Amino acid sequence: MTKAVWSAAAAAATVLFVASPVLAQSVDTKTLNVSATVSARAKLTLSAASVSFADADPDLTPSIAATPLTVDVKTRTGNAGNVTLTVLADGDLMSGSDPIAISNLTWTTGAGLSAGTMSKTAAVTLGSWTGSGNHNNMSQTYALANSWTYAVGSYAAVVTYTLTAP
Amino acid sequence: MIAATPVAAQTQTTTATISANVGTLATLTLSSANVSFPDADPDAVPQVAALGGPLSITAKARATRLSQVLLTVQANGPLRSGLDTIAVSAITWTSTGAGFVAGTLSSTTDVLVGSWTGSGTRSGTQDLMFQNLWTYASGTYTATLTYTLSAP
Amino acid sequence: MTRAALLCLAVLVVRSSTASAQPLDLQLSVSPRTITFASANPDTSPTVTAAPISVTVRVKGPKTLQWHLSVLADGDLVAGPSTIPISNVTWAATQAPPFQNGTLSRTTAQTLAGGSGALNPGTTSTVTFSLVNSWLYDAGTYTQTLTFTLSSP
Repeated sequence: MTKAVWSAAAAAATVLFVASPVLAQSVDTKTLNVSATVSARAKLTLSAASVSFADADPDLTPSIAATPLTVDVKTRTGNAGNVTLTVLADGDLMSGSDPIAISNLTWTTGAGLSAGTMSKTAAVTLGSWTGSGNHNNMSQTYALANSWTYAVGSYAAVVTYTLTAP
Repeated sequence: MIAATPVAAQTQTTTATISANVGTLATLTLSSANVSFPDADPDAVPQVAALGGPLSITAKARATRLSQVLLTVQANGPLRSGLDTIAVSAITWTSTGAGFVAGTLSSTTDVLVGSWTGSGTRSGTQDLMFQNLWTYASGTYTATLTYTLSAP
Repeated sequence: MTRAALLCLAVLVVRSSTASAQPLDLQLSVSPRTITFASANPDTSPTVTAAPISVTVRVKGPKTLQWHLSVLADGDLVAGPSTIPISNVTWAATQAPPFQNGTLSRTTAQTLAGGSGALNPGTTSTVTFSLVNSWLYDAGTYTQTLTFTLSSP
């Protein structure tokens, strides 16, 4: 009797497993370079563009005070930068051809500013600071010496304020 | 008497094991390596925006299931211009994109920029702002920020 | 009919049946029996390829014989509660035909090879499996069992 030939046995069923790796934390970093430019700058604010002195009896009012000015100074400068605020008149107080010497104009101040006498030849320091900062709500009150020797008239002069932040 | 006929085998089977190792992975991309804040009048511009607009950030992470993926930032110190410094807390930001948060820069601790759960790709923007003050000494200030993305 | 004649008839019937039987021999081997995908960055490796395996089929039988080799996964790739769809795994096979390319399934056995008639000596195909890579996968070691079935209906 012829025997049928049958298929071979199935292959061995050994199964291999890959060892599980420990899952470590992953990290990625990136750098960002930051720069900030801080330039020197100066900002001056006056509470009024003009001051006026009312007429008065020199015997009763030897010095006429104007309404106080409020002065704000903001500057950015080097750490040791010398910040100055000065005033300079363009000439004497004039009414037509009649002068009143500008040196008759003086001022007093509150904290942060310095009192002084106006000049038409050299800038006079009103305030000085070191470095950057805000100096706000400073007070300056002008006064005009009153005299019987003044000719009658309306006198005017222009005072230039200069704020410097190096 | 008739002998029975053997039946031929119809199938042959074998097995194999398929496995995939999926490791943790983190890839962080910033749209720029440099950010600059221009000079401005502190009265007019109290918060200076960075030139070029917001920074775009893409955080890709493969992490263990349900783990916390974190993106943080820290400065290497204050903003410096020679001997003059400005505290890095002068730099703050707002953000867009799911998972991204606002914050204030620090040079002493990592500050959270974004956080997410598990694997994925997350994109957003960070709008950096510089607090502009009159009290700063003039100069060009610099600092380096390190962003760290971690996928546990 | 006599008893002797009946016996001869019976023997004749048995001998006739034995002479018409066709032997069928199916042989299948897979080596190695592990398929491993290494971890890779999806940005640089959108597809991860495993080291190829050799699949050998040998079929002995009549010319009219039909044979079929299929592969079926027991499920998705699994790592604890995390899964990767097994349909993300494809393969490419040499020796086409009778071997062919395909995509793994956990529901329907997929054809790896097929033909008619004997395949003797056997044919060996180099089968290379590939996994779609993704940032969405949970980290882990995923496994599954594949069953290769060589059959003749």
